[in-house]
Amino acid sequence: MNEHEKLKELISRYIDGEVNEQEKSQVEALLKESESCSAYYKELRNLNQALDVLPEEDLSPDLENEIMSALAKGMREDTGMKRSSFVKMTVGGGVAATLIIGILSLQMYAQRSIQGRIRSASDDIGDQYSAGKTSAGPYQQLAGKKTRQYEPYYLSTDYSVTKTEGHSPARTREKAAGGLAPSKIISVEQEYWGGDGDAAEDESWRYNPAFHTEEYDRIYENQFMAVQENPLSTFSIDVDTASYSNMRRFLNNNQLPPEDAVRIEELVNYFTYDYPQPEGEDPFSITINGAACPWNRAHQLVRIGLQGKVYQEEEIPPSNLVFLVDVSGSMNSANKLPLLKASLKMLVRQLTGEERVAIVVYAGAAGQVLESTPGHYKQKILSAIDRLQAGGSTAGGAGIKLAYNIAKQNFIKGGNNRVILATDGDFNVGVSSNAELVRMIEDKRQDGIFLTVLGFGMGNYKDSKMEQLANKGNGNYYYIDTDREAQKVLVQELGSTLFTIAKDVKIQVEFNPGQVKAYRLIGYENRMLAKEDFNDDTKDAGELGAGHTVTALYEIVPAESTETFRSVDDLVYQQNQVVESQDLMTVKLRYKQPDGHKSRLIQQSIRSGEMADTPQGDFQFAAAVAEFGLLLRNSEFKGQASYHHVLEQAARAGGEDPYGYRGEFLDLVRRAQQLDRRVDEDIYYEDGGGYGEGGIQFKGGTGSL
Amino acid sequence: MEKTDEQIITEYLSGDREAIRMIYVRYKTRMFNFCLRLLGNRADAEEITGDVFTILIEDCTYDPGRNVRFSTWVYTIARNKCVSRMRKRKVLTSLFFHSSGQDGFQEWDPPDTAELSREDMARRELTGHVLQALEKLPFEYKEAIVLRQYHGMSYEQISVILNCSLEKVKILIFRAKEQLRGHLASFIKEERS
Repeated sequence: MNEHEKLKELISRYIDGEVNEQEKSQVEALLKESESCSAYYKELRNLNQALDVLPEEDLSPDLENEIMSALAKGMREDTGMKRSSFVKMTVGGGVAATLIIGILSLQMYAQRSIQGRIRSASDDIGDQYSAGKTSAGPYQQLAGKKTRQYEPYYLSTDYSVTKTEGHSPARTREKAAGGLAPSKIISVEQEYWGGDGDAAEDESWRYNPAFHTEEYDRIYENQFMAVQENPLSTFSIDVDTASYSNMRRFLNNNQLPPEDAVRIEELVNYFTYDYPQPEGEDPFSITINGAACPWNRAHQLVRIGLQGKVYQEEEIPPSNLVFLVDVSGSMNSANKLPLLKASLKMLVRQLTGEERVAIVVYAGAAGQVLESTPGHYKQKILSAIDRLQAGGSTAGGAGIKLAYNIAKQNFIKGGNNRVILATDGDFNVGVSSNAELVRMIEDKRQDGIFLTVLGFGMGNYKDSKMEQLANKGNGNYYYIDTDREAQKVLVQELGSTLFTIAKDVKIQVEFNPGQVKAYRLIGYENRMLAKEDFNDDTKDAGELGAGHTVTALYEIVPAESTETFRSVDDLVYQQNQVVESQDLMTVKLRYKQPDGHKSRLIQQSIRSGEMADTPQGDFQFAAAVAEFGLLLRNSEFKGQASYHHVLEQAARAGGEDPYGYRGEFLDLVRRAQQLDRRVDEDIYYEDGGGYGEGGIQFKGGTGSL
Repeated sequence: MEKTDEQIITEYLSGDREAIRMIYVRYKTRMFNFCLRLLGNRADAEEITGDVFTILIEDCTYDPGRNVRFSTWVYTIARNKCVSRMRKRKVLTSLFFHSSGQDGFQEWDPPDTAELSREDMARRELTGHVLQALEKLPFEYKEAIVLRQYHGMSYEQISVILNCSLEKVKILIFRAKEQLRGHLASFIKEERS
């Protein structure tokens, strides 16, 4: 190197920050004095900038899956070193069920663990190894065996007790994470399937496409509320059905869905029920009826049903649709982009020409693929959809912004202005935190633009993010797992998917303490509102589409029951006078017109004498779906619920099933029945209920945990 | 406070097998992009990335006591894997065909470029040129500049990873920059009035 080059090298190193004090001052002096030096310096700075333009590439989902299952396997093998019987199970299984049990529970644990670490919270319920933190207090000792059996480890109050009973942490985790894998069953199967280790090694990932990084928000189930303390129950309606199709995807893969992926209200609302069409000026009707609760005979079940008005095609206002399509690398698999394209094409074929359609894609960056085009240029729209390809990272935030801007530019006054977001929700470039996205969408909501979220794919599915987006964006949310589901959402129910007839629909129920001791709203956990919010028109709530039906179920405890629910002492200075009334409850409902800002109130009540013995017809079916949800969630309130009972009720309710959805439901229940080993063998119907003398036999329901 | 890599890997080595997941989350993209830049081809890069994590899972020889940063160690593994892959490839290509090193690696191309803004177009063009310029660098220049530019490694760490002296790293990076400057001259020349 000559002198000249040495100086250049020094400048280059100066830019990299790899010079000592002496060299630093030398360069700084040089840059001041010599023009050619400072020109060289600038060039290198420019070079740095130019080099930085190279984007970061994502791993292919296949590779991610492969590594993730290798990680899982590594962990299991390690567990096995400590407990030799366990390793036999993991290498010995030739059966998907066995593997899935192990891996499902592991993956749930893993998710918790990663999230926990990211938050680096010293949440000692989640922290498996900080034994010192959880002391076995009196509370833990109170917790009986039963709770331990059903609760996920992070709920279980007696977690440390379980540990001191001599389980290794690994095994505790195994069963605790979802409680899916009772050790006894494992040991039976490992003997039975023991043998060929290699086969299992390969299959560990093939059978397991869902070793996933999917995200679900934790659901804290609604508790029984004592009517004297909490006479009001307030919530927002939810017309989403995503949870149902997502659950179906899991079951069709022979896995039980993670508990937090099961939102019971969405399961119930997946089906349409025969409520009367609205009369008068309100765009929907309310139906209330009650009967004995099928899974707890001492309780009653009340159903509140809303039926949105069905509009004729010509009554539907013109639409301005912006498709926002995720074409990032993570969408590059058969059940994502190709299915998405097929779905959008179905939708486009429905268009009549009144609509305008624009397409925006986003990957590393967001871009407009199709400008806002009238619906009768079908060929143009279809071929634009055809050209979509996947690759790159996911700048979801930028895409949402662009889509809303285009929707606003082409805004149709009095029309249906809507962004349709199709994605797996795995945003990773730019604005990607939930809070920021939500804030952005809340801003856009003011412009009168609605949002429909269509979820696709699996593996890194971000359910929590998408549900929040739809909630906050005056929107609805569907999970598209198959062509059939796309057909349901985008063809048969297109009207209700796209056309909102009432927004911010809130329900407030006042219970009569003279008739009802306690109540529990089934599902709607993430839709609960404070009682003050009901009359507050600025508080956002759910939207109702044309022809939509919404069903909410309350499990109520009659006043004469001996159960106790009160947790607060009587007030000293105030006394509540109970008004004499035969009413069970009064349902109040508020809604706004789609473009309105002031809400209207509707009120209706049900008398205690109007309760039926058992739910009939549609009500029976809805109750069966809810019961199924309780089982999948492994709810602490599932009472005597059983798959057998669900099947029987649903089959008896039957009803009209033109598209075969109810038949499919029965299939799913049977599938879950085979997969679920959490069911207690002690369940026995005392009243007989027509289930034979021996009670119900459950597959694999052996031993205590 | 976020845990350091070293803390996590220590937990991992002392039996907390789940800790490896955090390492995976932190390093997956870095490892993959490092291999991708070195090998210039997605398929190979994915394979090596997989290999690196396999080593971590099955046979992790990192020793927290030895005062080497975990990132340095893991990059060393990846780099050595890439080097042997390059050697293998050299043998193959000389025998059978000439590989451009670009097969299997394609940037996502938006279907309708007319919709892109001028800025996007310029950016796209530059990206292509940068990729080509990097591709033209001799391998040892390339690994040094990639570690420096895209992975923020200090010269010191690079000297450990490449198993050479600090002086050599200085020269490698300088030469790499000089060559890149030549290839990308039209994009970075200061306009003189």
